[in-house]
Amino acid sequence: MKRICLIAVLVTLPFGTQAQPVAEAILKSHIFPRFEALATASSDLANKAQESCAPASKELRGAYHAAFDAWVSASHLRFGPTERQDRAFALAFWPDSRGATPRTLAALIADKDPVATSADAYGDVSIAARGFYALEFLLFDDTLKAAGDPAYHCALVQTVSSDISNNASAILVDWTSRYAGIFLAPGPEGRYRSEEEVLQELLKALSTGLQFTSEARLGRPLGTFDRPRPNRAEARRSERSARHVALSLSSLQDLAIRLAGLDTALAADFSAKFAIAQNGLTALNDPVFKTGASLQTRIKVEVVQQNVDSIRSVVTQELGPTLGVAAGFNSLDGD
Amino acid sequence: MARAGRRAFLSGLLAAGMVARPSWADAGSPVFLSAAAVPDGGYLLCGITANFDVVFRIPLPGRGHAAAAHPTRPEAVAFARRPGTFPMVIDCATGQRKATLSAPEGRHFYGHGTFSADGSRLYTTENDFAAGRGRIGIWDAHQGYLRIGETDSGGIGPHDIARLPGSETLVIANGGIDTHPDSGRTKLNIPTMRPNLAYLEESELVETATLPKPWNKNSIRHLAVSATGKVAFGMQWQGDGPAPALIGLHQRGQAPHVVHVEGEDIHAMRGYIGSIAFADQGKTIAATSPRGGILQFFDAHRRTLIRTAQIEDVCGVASHDGGLTATSGTGRILQPSVSNKWSTHHRNLRWDNHLIAV
Repeated sequence: MKRICLIAVLVTLPFGTQAQPVAEAILKSHIFPRFEALATASSDLANKAQESCAPASKELRGAYHAAFDAWVSASHLRFGPTERQDRAFALAFWPDSRGATPRTLAALIADKDPVATSADAYGDVSIAARGFYALEFLLFDDTLKAAGDPAYHCALVQTVSSDISNNASAILVDWTSRYAGIFLAPGPEGRYRSEEEVLQELLKALSTGLQFTSEARLGRPLGTFDRPRPNRAEARRSERSARHVALSLSSLQDLAIRLAGLDTALAADFSAKFAIAQNGLTALNDPVFKTGASLQTRIKVEVVQQNVDSIRSVVTQELGPTLGVAAGFNSLDGD
Repeated sequence: MARAGRRAFLSGLLAAGMVARPSWADAGSPVFLSAAAVPDGGYLLCGITANFDVVFRIPLPGRGHAAAAHPTRPEAVAFARRPGTFPMVIDCATGQRKATLSAPEGRHFYGHGTFSADGSRLYTTENDFAAGRGRIGIWDAHQGYLRIGETDSGGIGPHDIARLPGSETLVIANGGIDTHPDSGRTKLNIPTMRPNLAYLEESELVETATLPKPWNKNSIRHLAVSATGKVAFGMQWQGDGPAPALIGLHQRGQAPHVVHVEGEDIHAMRGYIGSIAFADQGKTIAATSPRGGILQFFDAHRRTLIRTAQIEDVCGVASHDGGLTATSGTGRILQPSVSNKWSTHHRNLRWDNHLIAV
């Protein structure tokens, strides 16, 4: 009995006492840089769209890719500022299982809806027509990039880009002016009661991020064995599907290793497992997961998916308990 | 005796009322059903007696969620965890599979169902995922569980379903969350979700109850119904930050109310109710929070917290003979009422989400 208690103390003590430095380090080295990069790249996107709104513009497309990269690298940090006023949903409405994004954009264009002339007014438009995935349709979709009156199309590209920039900037300002304080000063009246709860929020972001990459980013184009669905791959029109998996895994790896803290064995395990997934993805050499092409490709994508799931299982079974999240049969269920 | 002859003979006896029809006594008189997992990775549906003994263990092809018990025949419908496609009808007296319900093209099940009062119909919550609408499937339990129809559930993402006592009125927890099997369990509509309680009579929507707008990210998932038709519902908070409340009450014809819980007591629920049940003739509500490892008792009339019990990985809760029983993922079955802490520990079983009273 004494021995068990001692182990419990040894396991909980280091994390209990150093949670604050871990959270602070994650804020400074993981969270802030990502939202700063997102705000900067989105602002550049809005500016480039003002200079050149033609879908084929190299400058505009380059700015789109850079800003979208920044979003995907931050897209697992879904709490606090990103959720206020549904900002993250407005940046990234995907998966869109029922085609709401092209449908809503087509209706705006057909109606020449004047809402497209003001980024502020555009904040009230259906989230399906906002954000990076909507912009992708306007720049890369064969139908929508050429749809409607060119002047209206141009205004829509500029407005969607400015709306993205406004949202990205609002998230950053919210983090620096308000949420960083909440994050670093847990207390009995706070949103987080203890440092441990701050780390639990990050653990949830890590686990949900891995699940999303597995089920949506990799799972959607896989479809079923009988019916692969390459047309469901994320951002396939701008050939970003595999890139999103790589970027998200890279961010999730950084977070996982920071959360593992002083547990160097766990951190090493994460590094090895993430490397396996990334190497599998690189070897696949298929930017848009044309999984229907061959059985061999399909199996390779499935292996990457299993690699991601195995990382998530380590997060749940090993990292979770060290941060005070029980790996219970029911507590993990979520149904 | 030749097979056909024997069957004709038996059915003649049945028709003459000379052989008792099989009843739950033939299955060992369980008072509860629960799905469980075993250490080797297998899954079961179990019958549990009033003494907390397991009287039958029937293998399932995958992880279960809830079950529905036929009101007279020793027959259980075991539902898979969503997005399940395999509700199995099991003869609990023989352990044999009697039927497997197959979802029509474009539908999947959500893991809950309930019988009509006479046991002739089974109702199941389903997702029409192309349309993003909830459906209630209707199955004829007298004809080998033939699907005989379906109706709109009155919302999106219907989860739990119950029948108001002494009536054929169904109450449905439309959780409000849109999912599509092409993206696993990814939630597609959090900003616009609008959960409700919907009441159906003869496939017609007769009433819906919706919490006001600031609560629209509170997914109504699980239900309990009192003898007087009061409905208690457990929610799962999908918004950012702390949940405003997680338990609600509704009586038809009135506005829904939430149970106000504050400070540490709501914090400890971790935004997530697993199961809910009435006890003490409808005076008390019990709700489990598996993430917080707690079971809480609420005064159903005053809508206040009475007390909190700590039970690791607790989730299933149901009432029987006025008393409450709870189950946990660590294998425990216990009576969490104030004076009685009697419990049994099935160390080789992990009780899954729901405990269903037979």
